[in-house]
Amino acid sequence: MGAHLARRYLWDAEAEPDPLQMPTFPAELGLPQRRPRAMVASAEQLAQGRVPLDQRDFCGHHLLRLLRCHRDNFPVPWGCHELRHAWDSCQHHE
Amino acid sequence: MDHTLILNTSMLLTLAVLSTPIIFPLLSDNLKSSPTVIVRTVKTSFFISLIPMTVFIHSGVESLTSCWKWEFIMNFKIPISLKMDFYSIMFFPIALFVSWSILQFATWYMASDPHITKFFIYLLLFLIAMLILILANNLFLLFIGWEGVGIMSFLLISWWHGRAEANTAALQAVLYNRVGDVGLILCMAWLASATNTWEIHQASSHVQIPTLPLMGLVLAAAGKSAQFGLHPWLPAAMEGPTPVSALLHSSTMVVAGIFLLIRTHPMYHNNPTVLTFCLCLGALSTLFASMCALTQNDIKKIIAFSTSSQLGLMMVAIGLNLPQLAFLHISTHAFFKAMLFLCSGSIIHSLNGEQDIRKMGGIQKMLPTTSSCLTIGSLALMGTPFLAGFYSKDLIIESLTTSYLNSWALLLTLLATSFTAVYTLRMILLVQTGFPRIPPVVTMNENNPAILAPITRLALGSIVAGFIITSYIPPVKTPPMTMPPSIKFTAIIVTILGVVVALELSNLSKAHIKPKRNLFSDFSSSLGYFNPLVHRFSTTNLLGGSQNIASHLIDHSWLKMAGPEGLATLQQMAAKTTTSLHSGSIKSYLGAIALSIIIMLLSS
Repeated sequence: MGAHLARRYLWDAEAEPDPLQMPTFPAELGLPQRRPRAMVASAEQLAQGRVPLDQRDFCGHHLLRLLRCHRDNFPVPWGCHELRHAWDSCQHHE
Repeated sequence: MDHTLILNTSMLLTLAVLSTPIIFPLLSDNLKSSPTVIVRTVKTSFFISLIPMTVFIHSGVESLTSCWKWEFIMNFKIPISLKMDFYSIMFFPIALFVSWSILQFATWYMASDPHITKFFIYLLLFLIAMLILILANNLFLLFIGWEGVGIMSFLLISWWHGRAEANTAALQAVLYNRVGDVGLILCMAWLASATNTWEIHQASSHVQIPTLPLMGLVLAAAGKSAQFGLHPWLPAAMEGPTPVSALLHSSTMVVAGIFLLIRTHPMYHNNPTVLTFCLCLGALSTLFASMCALTQNDIKKIIAFSTSSQLGLMMVAIGLNLPQLAFLHISTHAFFKAMLFLCSGSIIHSLNGEQDIRKMGGIQKMLPTTSSCLTIGSLALMGTPFLAGFYSKDLIIESLTTSYLNSWALLLTLLATSFTAVYTLRMILLVQTGFPRIPPVVTMNENNPAILAPITRLALGSIVAGFIITSYIPPVKTPPMTMPPSIKFTAIIVTILGVVVALELSNLSKAHIKPKRNLFSDFSSSLGYFNPLVHRFSTTNLLGGSQNIASHLIDHSWLKMAGPEGLATLQQMAAKTTTSLHSGSIKSYLGAIALSIIIMLLSS
C-alpha cells in the first residue's frame, strides 16, 4: 500500500515516474502495425444519447449500448452486466 | 411523450404540495395545519418526486428552467433559474423520504409539546428552503435557500429556548455559519463584477476564476458543513430536539456546503490549490471529529461527531475531484445517519431523557427493533460490505489510495475510518449489551407505529440505497479498475482493526482496570481544546486589546499623558527647580539680579 509513494521518495523518476511529468512515447513505439484510434460512435450519436462531455471518449459506443440496454430493461437494473463489463474493460484498457 | 415537461411539472408540483400546509392556513381558518396533515403532505411530495427520478433514470432527461428575470441593475439580471439535473433529481426523493420518516417520528417524540404544530411548520419551512437550495442554478437563489436553512436551524436549535445552553448553541450555529457566509458573498461579489452573472454554468464557462473567490466558496462550505476550524457548532446543535438533529444536522442542512461545492465544481476542477486545500481540510476534519467522538459519553454527541467526520470524508472526495462520489456519500449517509438519530431519540425518550451511554445498557432486550436498526445503521456507517455506506465510502477510500495525491491526507482518512469503527462499536456495546445501568422504574414501549415505521423504513434504505443508486446510475468518472489486493482491502482491514481495538478496550473496562489519563485522552475529551482556545482566548485577547486601546491608549495616553497631565509634569519639573531658588536669602536674590544684568548686557 502506497508503494508507489515510497518509491517516489526513495528513488528517482527512473523507478517511479513523476505523475506531473509523465513520460510520453510515440504511439507506434514497438508496435509497427498499430493504427491510430478512431471513434466508433459519432458526435451526433453521443449528443443524441445525452452522454456527459467527460465520457465522450473512445469507449463512448460501449456506453451508448449500455444506456440503451438500461432504457430497454427499465425498471430492472440487471440484465446489462455484459455491456457494463465491456464498457469497464474498454475504460481500463483506455 | 414530452419528458422535459413531465420533469418540470412534477418537480414544481412537489414544491407546491410542500408549501400547502403553510399557505392554506393563511387563506382560511378552516384549513388549519396539524402534524398529521404535514406528515401526509411530505409523504405525498415524496411519491410525486419519484416521477422525475423515474423519468431521469429511464431517459436521462435533464432540464434548466428559467423564469421571471429580476432586472437588478442595468446589464445585470437575476433570473429564477432552476436546474433539474442528476443531483437535484436524485436528492429530492432522498430528502423527502428522510423528512417523511423524521416527521412521522416527531409526532411521537414531540407529542407532549404544546406548540407541536409550530414545530412542524418550522421543519417544513426548513425543508422548502433546502429544496430551493438544491434546485438553484444561480448563486442568488442558492443564497436565499442557504440563509433560509440557517435561520430555521437557529429557530429549531433554540426550540427549548428556556435552556440557556440551547440559546448559546443556536447563537453559536448562527455565528459560525455567518463566518462561512462571508466567503459565499465574496465569491458572489467577484462573479458579479468580473463575469456579470450569478448563473453557475455561465460563470464557469467564461474565465479562469482566481483562487480567492474559490477559497470563499470553500470557506462557505467549511462553515455550513462543519469542517475543522468552523466545526464547534455541530455538536453544540444537539441541544435541539432529536428530530431537528436528525433532519438538519445529519442529512440535509450540513450537506448544503458540500452540495455548493458539488454544484460549483466546474469552477475549480482545474485549480490544484483549491483541490489540495479541500483534500487536506477534509482529511483533518474527518480525523479530528472521529478523535473527539472516541471519548464522548452523550449518544447524540457521538452521532454528531460521526456526522462531522463523514462530512470531512465528503470534502476529501471533493478534493479528489470526484463530486459525484461526494454526492453518492451524501445520499447514502442521509439514510443511516437519520436512522441513527431516530434510534437514539427512541432510546432517550424511553429512558426519560437520559442521554449518557454510561447510564444505558441491555437495551437490546428492552427495545429490540430500535437496537437492531441501531446496529444496522452502525454497520452501514462503518462501511460494512454491501450495505449503503459501503458503496460510497469504499469507493472514496479506493480512489484515495490509488491516487497520486497527498499521502498525509490518506493516512488521516484511514485513521479516521478505524476510529469510526471504534466509537461506533463502543456506542453499540455500551448502549445495547451488558447489564442495564438504567433507573429501575422505567416503562419502555417501542410498540408504536410512529416509532417503528420510520426506523424500519430508514433501515431498509440503509441496506438497499447504495445498491439501488449504483445500479441505476452509471459513474461519470471511471473508478479505479485494478489495484493490488492490499489496496482493495485497505478500508475493510482498517475497519476490522478498529473493531478489534474496540473489543479489546471493552474487555479492559470489564476487567475494571482503571484507565490512565494521558495527553491523548485529555485532548479527545476536551475536543482538542478548540472551544476554549477560540471562544475564550481569542475573544479575551481581542476585547482586552480593544479595551486597552479605547480606554488606556486614548484616554490615558493621548488625553492625559500627552496632553494636560504631561504638560503639568513638565511644568512641575521647572517649577520645582525654580522654587528652590526662593530661599529668602538676600545674597541669592542679588546674585540673580547680577546674573540677569550680565545676560542682558551680553545679548545686546
